[in-house]
Amino acid sequence: MPRTWHRWIPAAAAPVVVGAVVLGGVFAASASADPADKTPQQVLELAASSTVDTFSGTIEQSSNLGLPDASGLGGTGSSGSSNDGDLSSALELLTASHTLRVYVDGPTQSRVQILDDMAERDAIRNGDDLWLYDSKDASAVHSTVPADASGSTETPAEALTPAELATKFLDAVDPSTKVTVGDPVKVAGRSAYDLILTPDSSTTLVSRVDIAVDADTGLPLSVDVFAQGSSDPAFHVAFSSLSLDAPSADLFDFTPPSGTDVTEKALPNRADAPADGSAPDAGSHPEPTVTGTGWDTIVELPASGDATLPSDTSMLSQLTTPVEGGHVLQTTLLTVLITDDGRVLAGAVPVDSLLAAAAQ
Amino acid sequence: MSSSDSGATPVRSGLTERRNRRSVGLGFFASELAVLFRRRRTWAMLLALAAVPILIAVAVRISSSGSSGRGPAFIDSITQNGLFVGVAGLTIAIPLFLPLTVGVVSGDSIAGEANTATLRYLLVSPVGRIRLLVVKYLAAAVFCLAATLTLSIAGILIGIALFPVGPVTLLSGDTVSIGDSLVRSLLIALYATVSLLGLSAIGLFISTLTDAPVGAMAATVVLSIVAQVLDSLSQTEWLHPWLFSHYWLNFADLLRQPIEWSSFGQNALLQLGYVFVFGALAYGRFSSKDILS
Repeated sequence: MPRTWHRWIPAAAAPVVVGAVVLGGVFAASASADPADKTPQQVLELAASSTVDTFSGTIEQSSNLGLPDASGLGGTGSSGSSNDGDLSSALELLTASHTLRVYVDGPTQSRVQILDDMAERDAIRNGDDLWLYDSKDASAVHSTVPADASGSTETPAEALTPAELATKFLDAVDPSTKVTVGDPVKVAGRSAYDLILTPDSSTTLVSRVDIAVDADTGLPLSVDVFAQGSSDPAFHVAFSSLSLDAPSADLFDFTPPSGTDVTEKALPNRADAPADGSAPDAGSHPEPTVTGTGWDTIVELPASGDATLPSDTSMLSQLTTPVEGGHVLQTTLLTVLITDDGRVLAGAVPVDSLLAAAAQ
Repeated sequence: MSSSDSGATPVRSGLTERRNRRSVGLGFFASELAVLFRRRRTWAMLLALAAVPILIAVAVRISSSGSSGRGPAFIDSITQNGLFVGVAGLTIAIPLFLPLTVGVVSGDSIAGEANTATLRYLLVSPVGRIRLLVVKYLAAAVFCLAATLTLSIAGILIGIALFPVGPVTLLSGDTVSIGDSLVRSLLIALYATVSLLGLSAIGLFISTLTDAPVGAMAATVVLSIVAQVLDSLSQTEWLHPWLFSHYWLNFADLLRQPIEWSSFGQNALLQLGYVFVFGALAYGRFSSKDILS
């Protein structure tokens, strides 16, 4: 036996080598040639001046909103109303992790694919045609984009890309936000400035927002939203690969395959989506009221004639906790209050602020 | 005891010895394949695998009421296109049937020889222990390929026989030609083969631990099930990317337009790591082991 111990050397070395290769890959990814120093203002301008409208890439998105995994709730919604189904799919987009592929060629040609297990959801925009395809039930929805609204429509999936999301945050930068630049980061193999937005407010649930801005093009590559008292991002979306080449044109040329349920749907007249679009889009859009400023903004949807949110649906009762005067959906980033008289208040603020706003 | 890596070969000039060894290695590999594929058990397993898509197709054909069952959407789409039967068969065989047959072949590789007392004679002939391990592993890998190809081809043939055949709709909603879809079916079979390489290496290692082939087979199959159970528990999420079964069902990425190659690469890399680690373990065990039987 003493003469054979060296036969085990490869067995001992193999895990070490594998570990070294894995760690080596991680270190190689983090080592970066730092871009030239820029002030926060310069990085903001760089992001604002970004003209990239042709790219393709893969996006990883994950969230930790403190909500139960909506995929587990899907079963309860199957027998419910269509409103319930819309709500569950919106929740699914917000709570579960996703891998997306995006292909964009100019403002009017884009395709977003949500890669599910053994399934896929596609949103394709080709000129005036807008297609939504779901491979799970082989269904497609077709809409025509009105000529005057070209460029302004976006599908829910598109709102999940880092660029779209970062633009929303950057547009909202105002004196109540402290903007700093952190150490350069590397996202999808590209070096980027790390723009850190810190709300100058003690009452918001958001502690900070990190946006990686590509050093070359100014395209936002990743967005991390951190909740108060947490070091892990509550919402994370980032490119894992990115190419600035024009995607193949036939990707945008979509014909529903035979055997597909095709529904024609007129585009809803999209008013300002409340908060981050988490409130379900009902058929009618009552005008929302906005109170507060900056990060403390509270959006209030007045009670509408039709039951926008039937408070007795099983999903809502599972997700919300009753408070005095209504029900509260509490996530790490966003609080939604549904009052007993049907109003919906939402904001990145604690419950108390919403209750105070509702009482006014 | 004695290392038979070099001892058994008579001393010759280095070059001829190496050439001789290589031809011995190839001949040994060919004879090992012949032994494997001449066994009635191997054919029985391949037939059982071929029966999986055939049973699915016949069952769907008989009960073709068009109602969407639970199960993956593939099962429903095979009524519209027979070319899906191969993919549906693979989807159903990957969690249990394929690991079962691979466990049998790889678990039997060394322990089976030890059990029938032929291991000693194999090593007395000018076959080093490393070469024996490599040849046994390669034979198991060839069986993986044969198993997945059998499943795919049986599925495609029965699908053509029972269902209409036409251009195939991908998960992305795009439609590709029959030729393109056959290429993709072949790629999926290759993906499944690569997926099973790690399990084969584990089976080979377990097989060097024991002289009882049934024990090695059972342990390999149980490990494949344990890995899949761990992969489905959210409590062990940190472990998931390291489990050899983690990417097993991600072959669906080959059914997207354009093909998403990243899962193929990640899977191949992961399996390579398993082959590397468990190959080294098997070498450590087998080369320091006393061969008594």
